[in-house]
Amino acid sequence: MKNPYQPVKANILEVIEETPQIKTFVLKPENHLEFKAGQFVQLTVPGVGEGPFTPSSSPYEKEKIELTIMRVGKITSALHNLKENDVVGLRGPFGNEYPIAEWKNKEILIVGGGVGLAPLRSLFLSLTHNLESYRKVVLCYGARTPQDIVYKKAILDEWQEKYRGKVSFRITVDKGDESWKGKVGLVTTTLDGIEEEISNVQENPVVVCGPPIMMKFTTLKLLDVGYQPANIYLSMEKNMSCGVGKCGHCQLGRFLVCRDGPVFTYEQIKDIPAIWD
Amino acid sequence: MKQYFLSKDNFFKWVELLGQEYQVYAPLKKEEFLLYEKINSENIRNIVLDTKRAVHPLKSFFTPAYRKVAEYFVSSSESSKKSEKRILLGVKACDLKALKITDSVYQGEEFGREYKDPFYIQARENTLIISSDCKEPDNSCFCTLVGGNPYPQEGFDLNLSSLEEGYVVEVGSSKGEEVVQKNPGFFTDVEEKAISKKQRNREKVIKLVNRINKDLKVNTPYRELIKDTYDSPVWLKYSEKCVDCGGCNQICPTCRCFLLSDVKTGDKYQRYYLWDACLLTGFARVAGGANPRPWLHQRFANRLFCKFYFFPENINLDACTGCGRCISVCIGKIDMREVFRDLAIEKKIPIGQEK
Repeated sequence: MKNPYQPVKANILEVIEETPQIKTFVLKPENHLEFKAGQFVQLTVPGVGEGPFTPSSSPYEKEKIELTIMRVGKITSALHNLKENDVVGLRGPFGNEYPIAEWKNKEILIVGGGVGLAPLRSLFLSLTHNLESYRKVVLCYGARTPQDIVYKKAILDEWQEKYRGKVSFRITVDKGDESWKGKVGLVTTTLDGIEEEISNVQENPVVVCGPPIMMKFTTLKLLDVGYQPANIYLSMEKNMSCGVGKCGHCQLGRFLVCRDGPVFTYEQIKDIPAIWD
Repeated sequence: MKQYFLSKDNFFKWVELLGQEYQVYAPLKKEEFLLYEKINSENIRNIVLDTKRAVHPLKSFFTPAYRKVAEYFVSSSESSKKSEKRILLGVKACDLKALKITDSVYQGEEFGREYKDPFYIQARENTLIISSDCKEPDNSCFCTLVGGNPYPQEGFDLNLSSLEEGYVVEVGSSKGEEVVQKNPGFFTDVEEKAISKKQRNREKVIKLVNRINKDLKVNTPYRELIKDTYDSPVWLKYSEKCVDCGGCNQICPTCRCFLLSDVKTGDKYQRYYLWDACLLTGFARVAGGANPRPWLHQRFANRLFCKFYFFPENINLDACTGCGRCISVCIGKIDMREVFRDLAIEKKIPIGQEK
């Protein structure tokens, strides 16, 4: 019988420094790990421990898998010390994905905050793989400062060029600096006038990922603008330990985030106490 | 179900014989505690089968508090240690009910779909369960308040109902029947008289449990009572006596939460499974520091919401067997029956038995 606690080996092909606190790890797993955008994996730092992360690379990429990770605790600190050719472990993928098959001909709004853009990058790359299937894609993103923007080159330049006329970008920072020519304001301000981009907010999906406080205020704003709770997709952050529905850490109301999530609609979880904490 | 009679004398001879093939564990009295111990020719006469449940929850046999679940990045293939063939003797009805919960978590489809715990499954397969009727319930016992009975009705291989002259043996599985047939000489036909005596004893014990709980019984199931009580002051009131030790989690036969923890020993990376406790501050905290339950009363309520909301919603079973271990172990003398009584008072639902 398969041991669900056993990780597979993955080599670090490259470490990309996104910001002073965030790195993207490009991994080559020994056995190919097929995932869909939104699902998560358990990443092992050998001898230190495991944590749940959502891949940021395209699910169509078969050779490697990328994880964008902020240094916050014990495991991520140890991970940030690892270099090219070092070895980590992977288990998964676990949980559900963004239901993009249901979004044919929709106008899709994506709202990311900080490192929360990681799973949304994977989603974005999935959507742009068949961009003609969707009526429109709007990507809103907010970071604290210009320095804190992840995938800077792509989001500020390459993607904007590549998808000109097909994808709109609304990018903001909480606090600018002398080099920043873009918008300044919280990520919620990117939703001002969103009705001009999305023709019918009542019928279209929106995907949100970021720190809990950002998700909370973004959701409230989206409701205000007219988005339906069942169309607001949230990626819930919990401390999944086993990833396979047994350890109890990620319990959320009657759900287990590792089993029923990590992607939930606001409709599913709105009555559960303390979802934003 | 097929029944046999086993005399007291034959019982000891039989258990001794079983000991040649199996590791036999049974409750023994140690000071005021009833503890599971490995049985040998010296302690066999001290087995206590017919009082109440032991201190140890059965989960200690199937998911020990600390167990290695993986070794990774080693070239040598993992030597799968064959686990011992065991008999658990003197298991009570409440313990059997708890196994339903752990079975669904570790080997069912409801939790984790195709992902099953191979170690748990192996331990379950290698264990024969010989249960027995409860005859002296503890003051903390309340199986009848959560839909249970003080005698096993399912989930055992064999069950022993003790009478003065011996045991009525009920067969609960083909595995159980096989064990009987290995030494058929010890077993005789059971007389009608013995069966009716067994029945009378069982009714007597139900009355005993009901008497223990006469002032605490609420005429509404706990899973109904707990609905919409998240903000109730009752949680605050009782958590004031809670010292946040997590003892109730550890001793509870259905509390199954655990943590995976990695260590490096020599050149080996090992992953261990450790019991965790949702009463502890850091249980749900994420690396960034966010914590959905920073306050003790939230964690205290969460434990009972898990038992009477999460599990019923998921598998239509309360994850509480009424074994009362959480009451016996509590340093703050918190009694969950009183918590529910107060929730009932708050909701103006009648308490106490009618008669």
